[in-house]
Amino acid sequence: MVTDPLIEAQRVTFGYGRQPLLYDVHMQIHAAEMVGLLGPNGSGKTTLLRLLSGVLLPQQGQVLLKGRDLRQWRRRGVAQHIAVVPQDLHMPFAFTVEHMVSLGRTPFVSFFGSQTKCDQEIVYNAMRTCDIAALAGRVFNELSGGERQRVMVAMALAQQPELLLLDEPTAHLDIKYQIEILELVQRLNREHGVTVIAAMHDLNLAARYFARLLLFQRGIVADGRPAEVLEPGLLGRVYGVHVQVGILRGAEHLSVLPPSGADGEREQPERPKAQVHVIAGGGAGELMMRALADAHIPFVAGALNIGDSDHTLALRLANEVITEQPYAPISPEVLQRVCQSLMDVRLLIMCAAPIGPGNVGLWREALIAAQRGLAILLLVPGVADSVCVPDEPIASSDGLLQRSGMAARDYTGGEGLKLMRELLGAGAVIAGSVAEAIEMTRRYTAMNAAGKVFVQRKGSDALP
Amino acid sequence: MKLATRSTQIEPRLKERVRPLPASLILLLLSGGLLAAILLAVSFGSVPIPIGTIGQILLNGTGVFHFARHWDPSAELIVWQVRMPVVVGAAFVGAGLSVAGVLFQGMLRNPLADPFLIGTSSGAALGAAVAFVLPFDTIYGTFFPLTPVLAFVGAAAAVLLVYAIARAGGQTPVVTLLLAGVVINAVLEALQTLILTLSPHAQFSATALFYWLAGGVSITSWPPVFVIGSIILAAVLFSLSLSGVLDVFALGEEGAAHLGVHVERRKLIIIVVGSLLTAAAVSISGLIGFVGLVIPHTMRLLLGPQHRLLLPASALAGAIFLTLADLLARVVIAPAVLPVGVFTALVGAPFFLFLLRRSKREYRW
Repeated sequence: MVTDPLIEAQRVTFGYGRQPLLYDVHMQIHAAEMVGLLGPNGSGKTTLLRLLSGVLLPQQGQVLLKGRDLRQWRRRGVAQHIAVVPQDLHMPFAFTVEHMVSLGRTPFVSFFGSQTKCDQEIVYNAMRTCDIAALAGRVFNELSGGERQRVMVAMALAQQPELLLLDEPTAHLDIKYQIEILELVQRLNREHGVTVIAAMHDLNLAARYFARLLLFQRGIVADGRPAEVLEPGLLGRVYGVHVQVGILRGAEHLSVLPPSGADGEREQPERPKAQVHVIAGGGAGELMMRALADAHIPFVAGALNIGDSDHTLALRLANEVITEQPYAPISPEVLQRVCQSLMDVRLLIMCAAPIGPGNVGLWREALIAAQRGLAILLLVPGVADSVCVPDEPIASSDGLLQRSGMAARDYTGGEGLKLMRELLGAGAVIAGSVAEAIEMTRRYTAMNAAGKVFVQRKGSDALP
Repeated sequence: MKLATRSTQIEPRLKERVRPLPASLILLLLSGGLLAAILLAVSFGSVPIPIGTIGQILLNGTGVFHFARHWDPSAELIVWQVRMPVVVGAAFVGAGLSVAGVLFQGMLRNPLADPFLIGTSSGAALGAAVAFVLPFDTIYGTFFPLTPVLAFVGAAAAVLLVYAIARAGGQTPVVTLLLAGVVINAVLEALQTLILTLSPHAQFSATALFYWLAGGVSITSWPPVFVIGSIILAAVLFSLSLSGVLDVFALGEEGAAHLGVHVERRKLIIIVVGSLLTAAAVSISGLIGFVGLVIPHTMRLLLGPQHRLLLPASALAGAIFLTLADLLARVVIAPAVLPVGVFTALVGAPFFLFLLRRSKREYRW
């Protein structure tokens, strides 16, 4: 399509405090699309909707409505294009349904002016479309949840929006009203050409009603048709539960089911077992993980904090992601899982992430694994030629660490540097570029696949 | 459950048939009520004057009519120079406080809000305390007594202080606003106590302040009524233009923003207008409680929450209410005058409770 997207997020980063909540979000939504926004609690769906509606402004990047930055729009102008349906609404006073729906005309009524015949016509049409004309005289607060939701949609509709944003429109509703409201939204999309973006909790309803789904976890993890996004492995990594996805007999749409009993727990689709573990963070692992995925080398990533851009990427690319809570130091339990994973893999790739008090534990685990005999690649982009492990004494490995800039990444006051030095001493190899690291990894996994018993030796000949 | 919703769906039809009176008629009735209340209030007092006579005196005053003077000349003096300023002042105070109440309740989305919530009362009281302690009574001759001027300044300054404290990062969250109001109220009251305690005539000042705080329309001439009246009238008329915004504020600040309203800008305007009304009212009447809380509620229960009607109706009803309360305060133990605040609470509260109990609507927030 050549047409401009109706709304577009470009490299949007946002956080309420100093810590970002959303990283680098890119998305384009074209007119008349119907998009479901999926993601676990706290993944930033609602925040994304607020950014798209212009109530929040991104700290970096921009949101474009019809190709123009939302910052350059007047608030009224935005309200004439975008309507938002909140999750629930509590009115402090006893407003009637009719009056509430007519509030939707606010962006079109001048400051002192009153509503015209035409405005009233639009309000009645909106009520008719949402099938609430019979409720016109009722008080909003006295309606049932499903009726209230329809009133809120009618209010948004009275804005005659091109884009309708819904924040979990089916939350708090029973199944009948859930279907009713989604049918209504679908009708608006199909018959009135309204573009819809809805945050959704229920994956099944999302699969049923939305042609395009965005899977969100502090960033966009997957974007595509339901069949592409509702992939058990992906959902498992993002939501942290194993699910089954399939088409029920007689149904037309995908269904997502919880695992059936104990056997479902282990019943994972056969994927090649990962032989590589990647430790990254803060974007340091991006190129490495992309390269591994391109080379079809399965890998485990972690531990990574939710909200780290590497985490979002790993959810998409890695076989398995070991996850830690946002901004938390890596906890002992999570370190235990990392340790377990390091037992199973044959190669550990350490990306050049900064070392701080929060993640220094990962380096300790790495050192323990190295001493046990696990092969380790230290990825240090910028060291032009591959430097194979120093057979010189420690002193010069120090020089190497200084030269490569690794020393500057240590924020632990020396412990990180010491761990790096010891890692090199324990046989870790430095790769100067991602390509080189892939090359080494290939040789490595191939060597193992051939069944050769690999003996880790100290020294430069560990890897040819 | 299903049946219940079905049966209630028939109700709107019935309600529409007994549709309340049109807005214009309601406002007309209230205006008539206000006129009657004013005439009644002027007729009572140490010397009773028949309402007919008052009407003639007032109409003569317009210069259009010329009724024969069959009354005592002193009656004319009493009506024009003694009672009318007080009664008209009371009406303005009532209207101002009620509209301020509607503005604050609408903006804060909280039915408990009253005009004194965000600092006005303690600011005005502090200003008045300073006035009682200072060794001079008026500024600019006898036209502007010191107490109302300082009360007005204190009230306005306190609200600005509260707003400035609550504002952070371009936003003024409602909760912060309320909390800042509570804190500033506490600080200013402490200052007021301090000033009174340290003043040389502590006893005298404290008594004077007590009566001032208890509320009472204390006007003896027209100039203050003109000044205060024009401020209140202008602010009330301006606030009518905010009715659409206030309706939208009921959706919450984010909902209002989604409808294209500049929330922070409008909030500031509402605070300025509401505080201006309160400060103006307080400066000539002291702290009359209850009017700003109860009149908006009563009107909302009777007429519904739409601000287009609620604002003017509250202004008129508030004016009627305070005119009558002031009348009661003057006549009950005449010739002594009771604080008006006593009557607004004693009469207003039971009436409000009666309405609250009778309305079948669950009144919640």
